[in-house]
Amino acid sequence: MTADKSRGGGGGSRSQPESDGEGRSVRKGLLFLAWLIPGLGHWVLGKRVRSLVFASVIVASFVTGVLLDGEIAVPQQNSPLSWFFAIGCLGNGILYLLRLVWVNGLDGLLGSAFPYGLHGGGDPVAAGFFYGKTFLYTAGLMNLLVVLDVHDIGIGEKS
Amino acid sequence: MDHFLLLVWHALLVAVFFAFLWRSDPHGRKILFVKTFLIMVVGAMALGWLMFPIP
Repeated sequence: MTADKSRGGGGGSRSQPESDGEGRSVRKGLLFLAWLIPGLGHWVLGKRVRSLVFASVIVASFVTGVLLDGEIAVPQQNSPLSWFFAIGCLGNGILYLLRLVWVNGLDGLLGSAFPYGLHGGGDPVAAGFFYGKTFLYTAGLMNLLVVLDVHDIGIGEKS
Repeated sequence: MDHFLLLVWHALLVAVFFAFLWRSDPHGRKILFVKTFLIMVVGAMALGWLMFPIP
């Protein structure tokens, strides 16, 4: 936080190289945290209300998707487009990883053909399957936007 | 499973999200929330109604 403040406003021009390098590493760690745990990036930056709202919305969307028997996107060997969906869904951070472990188990997750051959869970014949997928993808994409927002706040482009 | 309820729930989550992402003041958030929510719900219903005759 302190490093962000000293870097963000552009006030400390005397120690520019030092603070810049430090700031970059802080930013990367912060972005990783923001991706991994929805809302944590804003929390660290002191935007507590926004943090709680983003976390609630993203978790609610993800849980709704799972409850509707939606499938999280996983890479498919013969479908390059599946990577786009997987990356979008990977935006859910730890929620995505936990769901992968839940569905595949640790053995299945680190099994033979990683990253191919994973199961995304869900039930294709369930009435809510496609709705569920929509909620899961939406949650992932929202968290990616949150990460970008954390970046903008971190570099001082947004308050 | 109520499809309309799911539509409203999805619109609600997305509208709250963008209201907090794009606006900082409470008044601006309220306005953006209402606009986004209504556009999604009413727009989806209108689109569904327009597509009704299409087989």
